[in-house]
Amino acid sequence: VNAVRAVRERLARLGALLLAAGVAGLGLYGTRFYSALPERLPSPLDWRAAAALLARDGRPGDAVALAPWWAERAREALPASLPVLAFSRFAGEELVGIRRVWLVALPAAPGFRRDAEEDLVERASAVEGPLRLGGLEVTRVDLRAPAVPIAFLPDRLRSADVKVGGEPCVAVAAGGFRCPGGAAVAREVREVDLLPRPCVFGTTSADPSRPISIAFPGVRLGSSLRGHAGVVGEAALEGDGPLHVEVSIDGRDAAGVELVPGDTAWRPFTTDTSSQAGRTATVTFTVSDAGSEPRPFCLDACALP
Amino acid sequence: VTLPRLAALLPRTARSRTAAAWAVATLAVAALTAPAQGIGRDEGVYLVAAESYAAFPGAVVRAPTQALALADRHFAANHEHPPLAKEVYGVTHALLADALRLTSHLEGFRFGAFLFAALLSSVLAAWGWDLAGRAGALLAPALFWAVPRHFYHAHPAALDLPVTALWAATVFAYARSLRAPEGRPRVRAALLAGALFGAAVSTKHNAWFLPPLLLAHWVASSALALRRATWAERLQRVPLAFPAMALLGPLVLLAAWPWLWRDPVARFAEYARFHLHHENYSWLYLGRVLREPPFPVAYPFVVTALTVPAAVLLAMTGGLVHALARAASFHVHPPANEERAGEGGEARDAASASDEVLLLLNALFPIALIAWPSVPRFGGVKHWLPAMPFLALLGARALVAAAHTLWPARAGWLTAALAAFALAPAAWSVAHVHPYGTAAYNELAGGAPGAATLGMQRQFWGDDAVGVLDELNAHAIPGARVWWQETARSAVAAWQRDGRVRADLRWAEGPEEADLSIWQYHQEFRDKEYRTWTAFAERPRPGERARLPRPVAGVYLDEVPLVQVYARAGAWR
Repeated sequence: VNAVRAVRERLARLGALLLAAGVAGLGLYGTRFYSALPERLPSPLDWRAAAALLARDGRPGDAVALAPWWAERAREALPASLPVLAFSRFAGEELVGIRRVWLVALPAAPGFRRDAEEDLVERASAVEGPLRLGGLEVTRVDLRAPAVPIAFLPDRLRSADVKVGGEPCVAVAAGGFRCPGGAAVAREVREVDLLPRPCVFGTTSADPSRPISIAFPGVRLGSSLRGHAGVVGEAALEGDGPLHVEVSIDGRDAAGVELVPGDTAWRPFTTDTSSQAGRTATVTFTVSDAGSEPRPFCLDACALP
Repeated sequence: VTLPRLAALLPRTARSRTAAAWAVATLAVAALTAPAQGIGRDEGVYLVAAESYAAFPGAVVRAPTQALALADRHFAANHEHPPLAKEVYGVTHALLADALRLTSHLEGFRFGAFLFAALLSSVLAAWGWDLAGRAGALLAPALFWAVPRHFYHAHPAALDLPVTALWAATVFAYARSLRAPEGRPRVRAALLAGALFGAAVSTKHNAWFLPPLLLAHWVASSALALRRATWAERLQRVPLAFPAMALLGPLVLLAAWPWLWRDPVARFAEYARFHLHHENYSWLYLGRVLREPPFPVAYPFVVTALTVPAAVLLAMTGGLVHALARAASFHVHPPANEERAGEGGEARDAASASDEVLLLLNALFPIALIAWPSVPRFGGVKHWLPAMPFLALLGARALVAAAHTLWPARAGWLTAALAAFALAPAAWSVAHVHPYGTAAYNELAGGAPGAATLGMQRQFWGDDAVGVLDELNAHAIPGARVWWQETARSAVAAWQRDGRVRADLRWAEGPEEADLSIWQYHQEFRDKEYRTWTAFAERPRPGERARLPRPVAGVYLDEVPLVQVYARAGAWR
């Protein structure tokens, strides 16, 4: 009994010691964390300095990338002339129309990682910086192979021919089209896979026999036609049937995407148009939905040189 | 002459005085810090319901023959939740704001919530005293309130803190009823447990889990004795609190909830169905949007680990281990042999295995319940908040016991030092995060910045819009239409009633009809921000791309955006 009691007392002392040491250690760590946090983050002055730098040195074709991606005070603080890319990674992003990226980083922020920087540097022909501005770090990355399209189709929606089930939709003054049955198609920025997608936005008719067709006439082709399709926002998690997007060039099938319920991805497609490079063609998207409820979709495509 | 009279009104024991002091302090701090805190979606609804409920008695006095019709009308608002807390809010509002004009309307409603917070503090202090003496009484409420998300829940006129307070009070009363001397004291204690249980189920549905939990406790702690007993003996040993709860629970619910009166069975079934088939909301967790079950079992454990300040979390975890060890040791050695846990007490040191099981069950069950894969995930820690007072009690006792074990001669000083280590950074984080408590993450997560990188839910229910009200009032053009997004219309109406939001600002249902858009960061609702960009983009010149709008104001917690305001051209002066 005494031996058991002795073991228990020893265990109790060990447990008490561990708890006391742990509480003291975490208490000190917590105090240090909260007291040091403001120094690890940029001040309003740092943001103004970055804004002045970008206002002076930014030019058309530039964009701002954020690291970490959530540092979206940049939208309020930095010049409005530069688009802001709040992506967690850049490896798979096409960065259409962007030649140089200004990476604005908060290197001392808790949880900061260099992933975004590494992704961009891998695609760089030149890197300038980083320039330290207090709690901010600004690095300019010149892209080695910028994707500057011959045509970005969402920007040409005004000239498109839009139909639902073969019935024509009417162009409206604000831009976009109103279609029979209440559907609409417009050039918008919408969320797919949690990121902003400048795209042709529309709502399906939820009737496979009445697909939406959006035909872009006179598109000058290059080496390839690249694009994406996705279901917008929370609707991507819903639905009871797949949504199909068919892409054709002058009536010939060129690519297709299927979006099943629950698929939140911004699904890419690409088609080789090098044999038709230099000529113009009509590019048509046909969107049909096998589900019972209308779903909002977003699609884009660009002709690359 | 007056002072002795006043002194006579004070509680007689040091334990009661400590509990009362904690209640008063909690009330005062909550009242002082509440105006800064915004109005969440649910609170906005409860304010409307509270005022409607409070008008019911007067309406019945005026037209007693129409009581049932009046009950239907006055209690139609938010009848998916029982009314007790909202009735309290209605009464405090009617008294403090309407009759005495001592407070704003919002503060008048919220005073009822402060009363529930005060009740919780006093229960924690009293039980903490029983478990670990004066130090336990001081530490247990402190450990609970030093968690930013708990502090946040002390303010809104909502249901989560009230049901947490009543859950803890019911369990405390049940525990005391088991120890009370036979006869009148035991009957009184059992009746109190029954009445408190009735108040709990009249506040929120999760209190219905109390009877099975307490039954499980009784079976587990009496298993050996029950196994050898006859059925008659078993029936005799059933704690009086159980029949009291079975009787008083439904009675209090029925008395408190006039909406049930017209057809109690059918309406109760409607209420139960609502909660048995509760819809799932989208919720961000470690970079994933959770929407449909099965949900991750680890969710409540991970969220607790990332939101309770680290040293407090360790104290609570230590408290769990300590209680397990005590329960095991009592099993081996009956209570007569137990060691002392607190400072110099006798009865308080004699916690039995039964008490340990009770504390452990209540500390773990609410978390385990939410861990169940089909239970909806939304609302952060509030859904397992009833567990946290028990973890605070266990944590407090563990710190006191550790100090006694390590340095018996200077146990008081060592306890104070450990308390300072645990509470200083936690209190700092409470002050730092207030009033944005739903955005609080601990130092293990890396605070709000680290949690944003981890892909955790940034905030919820729209109350952080309170941070842009001053700028909105200063800069919005007259008559501007505002798309408030996650902030409920009733919340905006409550602010306008108190003069916190300009009366000329109008409600907009979407960005297309709005002049201003208050984007509240919810990664799962990100499309709302992008719709705003589309709607507010200036028409491009020929050959140019549309330039997307930029925020004109924002709320940032450690650089993490919580709210950003977008304005149509010309709508922000």
